[in-house]
Amino acid sequence: MPITLRLTREPVVPLEAEVLCPDTLAELSNAEIRALTVYHGKRQLPLGEFFDIEGERSADMVLHGDLRKVRWIGRAMSQGSVTVHGKAGMHLGAYMRGGLIEVHGDASDWVGAEMSGGVIRVHGNAGGQVGAAYRGAMRGMRNGTIIIDGSAGLEVGMRMRRGTIVLGGPAKDFTGLQMKGGTIVLLRGAEIRTGAWMNRGTILSLKPLQLMPTFAHAADYNPGFVTLLARHLRQFGVTLPCAETDGRYQLYSGDLSVPGKGEILVWQPAAID
Amino acid sequence: MGGKVTCTLGEVKQRADFIVYWGGNPAECHPRHFTKYTIMQKSKFLPRGRKDRTMVLVDIRETKSAKAADIFLQVRPGKDFELITILRAMIKGQAVGDAQIAVAGLTREALEDLVQRMKAAKFGCMFFGMGLSMTRGKHMNSAALLTLAAEMNAFTKFVAMPMRGHGNVTGADVIMRWQTGYPFGITFNRGYPRYNPGEFSTVDVLVRGDCDAAFIIGADPGGTMPQPAIDHLKRIPTIVLDPHVTHTSKLARIHITTAPQGIAAPGTAYRMDEIPMPLKPALKSPYPSDEEVVRRINEAIDKKPFWLPEGSQPQMLTAQV
Amino acid sequence: MLRISGGKIYDPANGIDGAIKDLCIDDHGKFVETVSGGRTIDAAGMIVFPGGVDVHTHVAGGAINFARAMTPEDHRRTHAFIRTKSRRSGLGGMAPTTFATGYLYAGMGWTTVNEAAVPVLSARHTHEELSDIPIVDKSTLTLMGNNEILLDQLEDGEYERARNVVAWYVWAAKSYGIKAVNPGGVAAWKWGHDAKQLNSPIAGYNRLTPGGIIGNLARICDDLGLPHPLHLHCNNLGAPGNIATTLDTLQHLDGRRAHIAHSQYHAYGGDGWDTMSSASKQLADYFNSHPNLTTDAGAVLFGDTVTITADGPWQHLLYKLTGRKWGNLDVENETGCGIVPYTYRPSNLVNAVQWATGLELLLLIRDPFQVFLSTDHPNGGCFWRYPEIIKLLMCADFRKECLAKLPDAIKKKITLPEIDREYTLYEIAAAMSAGPARALGLKNKGSLAVGCDADLVIYEADDNVEKMFGHPRYVIKGGEIVIEDGDIRETPHGREYIAKPSYDPATEEFMRPLFEDRYTMSFENYPVEIERLEHPSIQTCKPAN
Repeated sequence: MPITLRLTREPVVPLEAEVLCPDTLAELSNAEIRALTVYHGKRQLPLGEFFDIEGERSADMVLHGDLRKVRWIGRAMSQGSVTVHGKAGMHLGAYMRGGLIEVHGDASDWVGAEMSGGVIRVHGNAGGQVGAAYRGAMRGMRNGTIIIDGSAGLEVGMRMRRGTIVLGGPAKDFTGLQMKGGTIVLLRGAEIRTGAWMNRGTILSLKPLQLMPTFAHAADYNPGFVTLLARHLRQFGVTLPCAETDGRYQLYSGDLSVPGKGEILVWQPAAID
Repeated sequence: MGGKVTCTLGEVKQRADFIVYWGGNPAECHPRHFTKYTIMQKSKFLPRGRKDRTMVLVDIRETKSAKAADIFLQVRPGKDFELITILRAMIKGQAVGDAQIAVAGLTREALEDLVQRMKAAKFGCMFFGMGLSMTRGKHMNSAALLTLAAEMNAFTKFVAMPMRGHGNVTGADVIMRWQTGYPFGITFNRGYPRYNPGEFSTVDVLVRGDCDAAFIIGADPGGTMPQPAIDHLKRIPTIVLDPHVTHTSKLARIHITTAPQGIAAPGTAYRMDEIPMPLKPALKSPYPSDEEVVRRINEAIDKKPFWLPEGSQPQMLTAQV
Repeated sequence: MLRISGGKIYDPANGIDGAIKDLCIDDHGKFVETVSGGRTIDAAGMIVFPGGVDVHTHVAGGAINFARAMTPEDHRRTHAFIRTKSRRSGLGGMAPTTFATGYLYAGMGWTTVNEAAVPVLSARHTHEELSDIPIVDKSTLTLMGNNEILLDQLEDGEYERARNVVAWYVWAAKSYGIKAVNPGGVAAWKWGHDAKQLNSPIAGYNRLTPGGIIGNLARICDDLGLPHPLHLHCNNLGAPGNIATTLDTLQHLDGRRAHIAHSQYHAYGGDGWDTMSSASKQLADYFNSHPNLTTDAGAVLFGDTVTITADGPWQHLLYKLTGRKWGNLDVENETGCGIVPYTYRPSNLVNAVQWATGLELLLLIRDPFQVFLSTDHPNGGCFWRYPEIIKLLMCADFRKECLAKLPDAIKKKITLPEIDREYTLYEIAAAMSAGPARALGLKNKGSLAVGCDADLVIYEADDNVEKMFGHPRYVIKGGEIVIEDGDIRETPHGREYIAKPSYDPATEEFMRPLFEDRYTMSFENYPVEIERLEHPSIQTCKPAN
């Protein structure tokens, strides 16, 4: 039986609710959950002031409402599940270590920032800095999987080290900025400066990309690992083309300015007779 | 993350034989820059002054500053980041294709000449303006130029620094850093400083409506920010301290006229190279200084009971996981 | 008024080694013979030290502020000070913010700090930051070893002029003494070069050598009668084999007093990174036979930190070696600074040698009035980790445990395993308080004698040395209880000690045209106005003749 929370009071300013984490709620009674502290701007208030709460002592949580101003949901969680029916605010699943987050709505900036495990699924759009490093940090996400069905903003996967990000909609500028490893899959491409200053890692795009001038075209082929990746992503309902009959990937290496050993693969469908 | 390699302006005056202005128009925006600090100065190491120095102007169009330049490079609008990245590759001897160079709007010859001159310089200095820091890419454009300067130090002495706007921005940056650790975009809602540009920077907070009151000192967001931000300022209680009645004053709840800094109120301004300059007022003003007004507000707040209930304290949002 | 009764007193400045006696403090914050009324602290079973004095640290000014900008990720993960009615907010970590700096030092029982590197051009900035550091008293040292106006005088053999110029600068900066960093090297860095040879002319000069700068500055310090001797960061910091430069430098001093900064970084043998070893014994022998020299250890602790130094060339090298972020700021005419965040790892053989070398110097130099506790904060480690060093000095077994964790190859490179000495409480009090106070010439500090400033720290005796020194029971500053039971009770403003050496009044007119040529600010605006200092305290200068 999951814990259900329904938003009853719209936050006027951002509500910082890092207590909305399965690790925190798993052992608490309903009364204890209501009494947890959230920060409405600078005011400390009990969680019960903003949410109607049913259930207790569960590592599964379901949230209902327009939570676009509710930040840090699922922060550092290592188990259980968080499901949001509505929007979710910034830092969703930041520092996540395990478990599952699913949002039936839009998310904001910094989804899965510096996460090291677990799965985040956003059915709507996300903001910028998905799976990224916070300012000044050397590394972004260390592992885990983030699937955004819709579009995303700037700096997706900035300085990520490992793990997988899949975007169903287009991303904005600087996707994969200073990437150190891991995989970003762009089902609908991105705007400019994709892979800028990349060190290592793989960006795979099914739509043409405007690449940095410091990426060199290296080959056209069907890399073996894409078949494996495609198989892995099928469980999330994501389809990646990889059959030779359907087309090939153009491989670009870069970023020469670093110089980096990143790879960008751009899908080129076979000509239709 | 190349870091930042810079110097004070006197070093430029003394030594810089190669000066680049990128995305700025000093002839019109910093009219004394050439004569006081850069190309017109004679020094012990550059006794012939202008003749001993080379100035390169990089911009999307020819401004008045181009007249003072030895070399003008017209970069395609929106391609500064690409151009700087190409240069980072070229200085390392990495091969960049002709078609790729053309993307930035320049020729291979022009770039090879530039790289050769940069490496041959004894002391290179790059100044960058809002044409870089405020166009698409924003902080990444600035980071690109700073990184290029840092990397050039493998070959010769090179520095870079931003040209600043008005209003002692550098001073605010310096003081915020020593008191909070961060230059801007700071929240104190948990009783200690936290930083995240985009989350806590002023324009974003106003556009999203993330605040329920505003206290504006010596700035005019009502005249410069996007409409949603202006609309929000109108909705919430806004207080303005300024020597002038500004756009923001007109939509504010309260406007307090204060004495103009440096003219009628003392203090310290920090120059673009972070050198502190004492401000000695030349005139008297009937109005109080900003400092006086803020002190009096603080005193009035101190007389009220402390806003936190006894014994309670906000908790750190620890980054430890 | 305050009485501390029944505590075990460690007051090396006055030869007191654990005697149980009462201390009395009057309303002016000084120790007195007797006192009636006021509060009595029952210190029975507790240990009383004079307040700590940090002789070499970087806590305020352009360089540390630059480091703050470069390390937002460290600020995020570090200990935060939450705002209360009486206490400002702040952040600890590698480059603590100003309010936090005061709370952290005081929290450990340190009551005086010496900001070791101030360029005159940004001295105003340093003083403003120091005003925002609560509780502790401060002094600053002005960077002179690469000041080109000075160097030009020395090149021309104009000693008198040079002496006047230095005195003028010390007063213009409202500082306490003179610091020389990599003499000649920082000036050469402005062209991308360094100065590694003590007896070779510096880039841009025909005759002047780093040795020449050092010898002249040491003599100037004595002639001006500055309370603290020349504070010297030798050439070739960090380089394998640099013990030769260091010993050569000491010989250059020709018997004059001097303070050698962070000597750990200057005590290496070998001729490359692979052969680098500790040469602490040679350096310790020299100190042991030359009592007019003092040093601070500049010890290294494993972990993350940020290196900040005026040694620009060294930092560029560190950037190239590590690929970490690099900040650099050259200051016209005067100096520069370089900043690189760095991590010392026990698995890194070079770092392991550095760790051992710092401890060896502290243990091999016999007189704790000659070698002082420091990490050159934040270069070797953060100041709030000093209790860890105290533990390493007092517990040979713990040292051996730590040594066991180092790579085997270390054994041939260091002598620490053979050293059994354990510091006594008396010696710790000397190395952390009485010794640095004496070296700084601060007569009212580092001592519990009648007439001295009532700065003291009271510890609960604990076998866990690190815990004992990390969590004093009481810290008293100027007679006020500032820390009690781990809580910050009061946050008074500290004083700033400054020196006023005399100079020929004609020096100003001599300086003016040189100034206008080299600098880009108006001559009138350059000297710091005394009004900008919070509670300045001018110390007398007694010239040697």
